[in-house]
Amino acid sequence: MMRNKVHTYKHHVVHTIQPESLQADTTRRASHKKIVFVLRFFLVLLFVSGIFLSLVPRGRAIARAALLLPTLITASQPAPLVLSGEPTRHTQMTVPSRSGTVYLDIYAPSTSVPLITDARGGILIIPGVGDNRQVPQLVNLSQALARSGMIVMDMTTPTLMAYDISAQDSDAAVQAFNAFANLPGMQGKHIGLIAFSAGVPVACFAAADPRIRDKVASVTLFGGYFNTEGVLRAFGRRAIDIDGHTEHWQPTDVPILTLTNVIMKPLAPAERSRIIQALAPHGKALTTNELAQLSPGTRAAYHLLIGDEPNRVDQNIAALPAAIHAELTELSPSRAIGQMRAPMFLLHDRNDRSIPVTESRDFAAALARLHYPYEYVEFHIFDHVEVLSNLKIGQILGDGPRLFSLLSDVLFVDSQ
Amino acid sequence: MIFLSLLWLFMGLLIGAIARAAQIHPAAWKQHTWVSMLTTGAIAASCGGWIGVLLLGRYFATAMALWVAVAGIVSVCWGVSRISHQ
Repeated sequence: MMRNKVHTYKHHVVHTIQPESLQADTTRRASHKKIVFVLRFFLVLLFVSGIFLSLVPRGRAIARAALLLPTLITASQPAPLVLSGEPTRHTQMTVPSRSGTVYLDIYAPSTSVPLITDARGGILIIPGVGDNRQVPQLVNLSQALARSGMIVMDMTTPTLMAYDISAQDSDAAVQAFNAFANLPGMQGKHIGLIAFSAGVPVACFAAADPRIRDKVASVTLFGGYFNTEGVLRAFGRRAIDIDGHTEHWQPTDVPILTLTNVIMKPLAPAERSRIIQALAPHGKALTTNELAQLSPGTRAAYHLLIGDEPNRVDQNIAALPAAIHAELTELSPSRAIGQMRAPMFLLHDRNDRSIPVTESRDFAAALARLHYPYEYVEFHIFDHVEVLSNLKIGQILGDGPRLFSLLSDVLFVDSQ
Repeated sequence: MIFLSLLWLFMGLLIGAIARAAQIHPAAWKQHTWVSMLTTGAIAASCGGWIGVLLLGRYFATAMALWVAVAGIVSVCWGVSRISHQ
């Protein structure tokens, strides 16, 4: 009995302690192997992502967009971009054109051109009306693009600075494009066009110009319009038809001033100055007697611009002089899309109060009908073309990924 | 450039440490394994960064430093193992 007990005890020791130790050892080895595997996998991941972000053009576009997105959303350059980006240089130059002197602001890396020249693309920016050369958000965007290794040229013309639009400015854009193509590191490369607001028709006409259309990498249009008559119709109605219903739409002062300058050009000087004074910010509306002294065409234009006859928009448009109709047609990007070659990227804020979002929707619909390569994205974080301040996290999470995706697509095409 | 050079150096040290923990080091490096791996990582990342500046510009040099550091460590360890076997 005693022997049996001892035997049982020994048996117990042999068969309980040793397997536990073995099991613990096996578990330790297995977990160690797992850690080693995870670390090796992590190294492979670092290797692959490093190659993708530096050597693959799509990866480089994503790397650029990753730091440009916070630049756009916060309207300032994040520390990683400043610390790891290129040092930049700002220079100014002018070139002559048929419509007058073209003013160019160039933001470029101050370092020498890299051996792999595909890493340095070029973008010609055509801001809207007014003198935007010192506008902080434009300077910020241009500098940030230059820090990411792109060369950026901002152009403006006397016409745009005078809050006016002219089809003649397309020659200014062509001359700027040619001057850009001659900069160091840009020879033989395609250049992207980015246009804001009233710069959109200028960019479209330039991109359709046979002198440069095959050298344009892409055309990005932000807050632009498709048809000038469509814009005038929205101004006259003070409403837009959107998503199956009619929505009140009140334009701001700058587009009213610009459209006034555009459509008053063919009118008699005396009538033109009267209307411009009445429609200027803080201007005094014309009385019934004063209106009666105007020609029918001028009166119709006035009602469309001031928006006091929303139910007579069609009649007022029909009453416009033929010269105004011709001007509206000439300034419509819709007439140029048949001659354009480069892929297009359309952006518009859903609640834009300068140019209705329906214009970009019409533009996208026309491109879709033509099977033209394009992307269209709507946002809620912009005030026309400038980012809103004090954005909520929900707005950033909603629009951020779409803006990132579009940015990386534009930068990919523009650095080819 | 001082900031970027330090960044690449630090990245290389980190990748060297990960590679050591992942047991990529050659069996021949029985002594000073950590120091050898960290040094290899730092040198490879710095070289990658500077080559990146030359080839692609500053903006993409850090990504270049990243993969060159990994490739450098793996290549050096493989090379040392091969030589010691011979």
